This record gives sequence, structure tokens and C-alpha cells, in this order.
Amino acid sequence: MRKWSVVIGVCVLGLLCASGAVLAEDTIKVGVVGPRTGAAAATGTAFQEGIKIATDYVNAHGGVLGKKLEIIFEDTAGAPDVAASGFERLVTRDKVAMVLGESHSSSALAEIEVANRLKIPFIVSEAWADPITAKNYKYVFRAGPSNSGVVNQTIAKWVVTEKFKKAYIVAENSDWGLGIAALTKKALDQAGVAYESMVTEQKSQDHYTELTKIKEYNPDVILAFVYGTGLHYFVAQAGEVQLTPKAIILDGAGPPSIWPDFWKNVGNYGDKECFVSSMHEKVELTKLATQFREAYVKDFGKQPSDYKSRSIFDTILIAADAINRAKSTDAEKLVQALEDTHLLVTRGVVQFGKQAGGPEYHQWMPPMLVIQWQNKEQVVIYPPDAATGKMVR
Amino acid sequence: MLALTIMNGMVMGLIYALAALGVSLVVGIMNVVNFAHGELYILAGYFSFLFADTLGLHPAVAILAAVALVFLAGLVIEAVLIRPTYGNDMYSLILTFILSIVLQNAYLLIFGPYPRKPPLWIPGATNVFGLFFYGNQRLAALFAGIAIIVLVFYLVHRTWFGLIIRAASQDREMAQWNGVNTTRLNMLSFGLGCALAGSAGVILSPVFPVTPTSGVPVALTAFVVVVLGGMGSLKGCVLGGLLLGLVENFGAAYLSTGYKHIFGFIILILVLLFKPAGLFGRKEA
Repeated sequence: MRKWSVVIGVCVLGLLCASGAVLAEDTIKVGVVGPRTGAAAATGTAFQEGIKIATDYVNAHGGVLGKKLEIIFEDTAGAPDVAASGFERLVTRDKVAMVLGESHSSSALAEIEVANRLKIPFIVSEAWADPITAKNYKYVFRAGPSNSGVVNQTIAKWVVTEKFKKAYIVAENSDWGLGIAALTKKALDQAGVAYESMVTEQKSQDHYTELTKIKEYNPDVILAFVYGTGLHYFVAQAGEVQLTPKAIILDGAGPPSIWPDFWKNVGNYGDKECFVSSMHEKVELTKLATQFREAYVKDFGKQPSDYKSRSIFDTILIAADAINRAKSTDAEKLVQALEDTHLLVTRGVVQFGKQAGGPEYHQWMPPMLVIQWQNKEQVVIYPPDAATGKMVR
Repeated sequence: MLALTIMNGMVMGLIYALAALGVSLVVGIMNVVNFAHGELYILAGYFSFLFADTLGLHPAVAILAAVALVFLAGLVIEAVLIRPTYGNDMYSLILTFILSIVLQNAYLLIFGPYPRKPPLWIPGATNVFGLFFYGNQRLAALFAGIAIIVLVFYLVHRTWFGLIIRAASQDREMAQWNGVNTTRLNMLSFGLGCALAGSAGVILSPVFPVTPTSGVPVALTAFVVVVLGGMGSLKGCVLGGLLLGLVENFGAAYLSTGYKHIFGFIILILVLLFKPAGLFGRKEA
């Protein structure tokens, strides 16, 4: 009797394991990396929102390879070492087919090394440093802005269009900040715009000394490459020292200018501030962008503001499309499928660059807008074909 | 530039001193390093935001309620986490370190990742002697900070409670033999240290909005100031804070804005090299 109990028990256990395996195989796993904790935890929140909408969208449209898409989110805390180990965990422990996301350039630069070593496709969403794609790694793609793209296609052209004569470049000491400041200097040199520049500490709360130096230079525009809460400190303190509104501040990243408490933190000093963004509350470039907004409002009961929720949504759609076209989760086939991508997402049609040798390799640059706060209303002021108004000084 | 640098250096220095005062007090009396000091500063900022902004209470009421709650939180932390570790400084260090991580994650869960700021006491900026504009809230923080520092010095040097504190910090055993209830003293001192962190939080959060992790640099600066001034020395704490504020601002104004905090660490290394006990620290017997 006891012998039979053991046999039945083993059989039941075997069946449970088998059914578990079957259940596990009912999904295709894709990893997402991003900061859910740390100084840029707001990006993690935006990513989680985008993941929810993207997963619902993909699974409602047939899933991937006839199975449900499952996203596994790994917190990087904005630290390169945590990011690299988190990325590796997704590949080795969770067996994901692909990894997506990231918004810190320093973290992404650590992650691309792991992607390259483990030969796993990685689509970067919102880490802008040029070396991410300039290293020309076969498995690394970027479906989002690059520093050179933002500077050359948007910021430098906007500075020239608005006829600014003197600019001040302020960059935080991060891979993103230093990289984009160097490219901006080069672009302003070519455009013949006079400028001065300085580096500020990424975690600095007090900017009075920096702002006083800037005020002595008397610029028309301040190109601020400062991310997160630091941008709120910068805008509020620039108003206090009476640097603004005489000089116009351009937030060179975007999301902090539309975070929920922006106006509470900067007060009226936020008026006339400009910021770079791939999303506007009213201007929608594709039909899918409208669908995204409607789904967002339905799911979260508010309008989308941080454009990174839409960036990760797009990236997940690109990944799902590549897996479906590759008809496999094999890394080599996925790379081939990604290189052949021609997909309409919320920000336009995605096509990755194939020309090796520079940052354009495996890069798709979405269109970026320059938006100005005018009486707490967002007004698109650049590019001219998307503008909803003119810049106010 | 020079006038602004001196003014801002002194304001930031007093702010640093205020943030470090609680650490210094707890180290001096209890020989406990509270790693969650920054998170208690943030807690007061969040309470102040919650009461003044969300519940619409008068800012003064919000501030007092926030500091009182952080004081109570300090009493609970001492009773639950610190008291069982007496006799082993390392345990309290580890426990408060774990507490700081737990609190950071709790703040993220409750208040979200975005910066929160209680309403300004006095908006706008003032033209200081026709030389530069300076934020009114910073000036208010400066005066409030000075008032609290004076109050703490008065408490420690001019009251019966201060006498007990000084006696216990010099010779705990002797104080106990003379009838001092050191368990209760520890609890009150830790609560007071936390209330000082809270005071700094309510004064500064309208200037520097709080986020779940913004307590980390506050605590780090506070520890630097305490080591610079001498462990447990309140006078050293104020002078250490002022020195750090001035050095950072002069460094940023005339050397490099990109490495502002490095200058503070250079001063710290120099002080530790030539005066290892800190500027006003007591030498080990």
C-alpha cells in the first residue's frame, strides 16, 4: 500500500512538473531594465505604466508566436553595477528572449557589454549617450533619442531658428550630460553661436554659485542638461537669482518638466521654460499615439505626461513584431528581424540604421519637439511643421 | 560674485550644521551612529508636505506636527531597535542602516518617486544690499536654523537637562550612580536627535523638495560635518558645517563647479590627517 502511495505521489509530482513546464511555455518572456528605485525612480513608474499598456495591446492582438507576452522588469536603481547584474539575471535565470528599456546612459553602457557577451538582443529605449550604438555591437539597438540626434536635429536648429546670440551650456557630470554637452558645443561652433559652458554635480541641490556665474555671462538661452529633481532646483533657483525670465531655459531631457509636482516645486519660475520631448499632451503624430493615450487614461485615470511610458510601449511593440517575424526566439534570427524592422509605432515608422561605423548603426531616432510652458499650457514651438504657437520671451 | 559666495557659503554651512546637529547629539550622548538620520529628515519633509499641502493646515501647525511626529518616531526607534543593542555599537549601526533602506522603500511606495515640496513660507527673492538676489525662503531657513541652533546650545549648556546630558556623555557610569536614569535619557536624547533631523527637514524641504532617496546626501553631509567638527561636539558641528559650506562655495566659484563636493572631502582628509579627532573632538583617554 505504502509502495503504491509513493508511486502515485511521484506520478502526481511528475504531472504537476510537466503541467508547470507547459504553463511556463505558454508565454514568451522579454526582460525590461530600468530604475524602479533610486534618484530616477520616476522613470521606473513610467516604464511600468507603458509595460501594462503594451502587454495588454500585444496580447489582445494575438501575442507573440501564438503565446502570451510576459514582461519581467528588473530594477537597476540607476547604478551601472546593479544594471549589469540585473541584465545578466534576466538572461540566465529568467531565460528572456530579449531585453529592452533603460534610461540611464551609464547603466546602458554597462548593460551593452553583457548583451554583447551573452549574445542577447537588447533594444535601448531612453539612454541617449552616443557610444551605446557607436560601439556597433551586433546585438544592441536603440529605438529612442541619441545625444547626437537630439542635438543636431532639434536643439541646435532650434537655437538658430530662434536667433539666440549667446548660449550657456550647463551639464551634469554623467555620461549623458557630458556627452550631450560636448555635441552641443560642436553644433553651436558650426552654427556660429557664442557660448560658455560648465559642468555641475549630478546630485547637487544648490546651484546659486553656478547661476551667478551664468548671470554674469548674460546669455539669451541656457541649455540645461540636468536630469530629475536637479532640474526643478535649477529652474526655481534661476528664477530666485533673477536669471530668468530674461534668459530662456531649455530642459534638454524633458520629463522632469512635466512631472506631476513640477509647478509646485518651481512656482511661477516655470513659466516660459522650454523642454525637449517626444510627446505633447495634444499633438499626436500617429493613430497609435491616440490609442496609447486612450488606453493610458482608461488604465490610470489621468493623461500621460512622462513620455518614457510611451517609449517603452513602442519598444515592446518593436520587440513583439521582431519575434513574430523571426518566428523564433533565436538571437541571430531576432537580430536579423530587428534589422529588417519597418513598423509604425506612436512616434512614427521605426527603421534601424544599418550603416556601421558611427552612432547611427542599429539606431532609430524618433522626432523630438521643443515645447514651451506658456501660462502653464504646453505650446509646441519647434519644429515649425508641428508648432502650435510661437516662443514667448 | 564674492559677496554671493560668502553669503551662500554661510547659509549652506548653517544648513549643513543644522542637519548634522542631531547626529552629533546622539553620537555624543549615546555613542550611536544613526544611519537613518537622513530618512528622518525626509520623513519630516513628507509630513510637512502632507499636512500643509494635502490637508491644507497652516504651515506653522504642519511644521510643529511634523517635528513632533518625528520625535515620537525617534522614541519608538530607540525603544524597539536601539535599546536591545546597547553594548554593541556595530549592531545599532547595522540596524539603522537597514532602517534607512526600509524607510526609503516605504517612502517610494507611499509618496511615489516624484519630488514633494511643502508650500514656501515666504515666496520670492530679496535684493541683498543691491549686490545680488537671494531667495526669501533661504533667508527664512537661515534665521530659523540659527534660532534652532541657539535653542539647542541653550538646552545643552544652560538647563538641568543639558547638565545631565553633558554628565552622561562624559561618564555614563558615574551619572548612573548619581541617580540619572540613563535608559530614559537615551530615549529622550535619541528622540531629540531625530527631532533635530526633523527640524532641518521642515525648514529645508520648501527649499529642496524631498524624494525617497534625497536623505542619503543629507546624511552623508551630516556625517562629514560631524567628523570634521569632532564626534559629539556641538560647537565643532556648527563650525564644521560653516567650513564645509564656505569651502564648497569658494571651490565652485573659483575652481570648478563640477566637483563641488570634492572640496569638502579634501578639507575632511586634511583635518583628519592633522587633527584626527576633528576640530573640536575629544582625544581618547
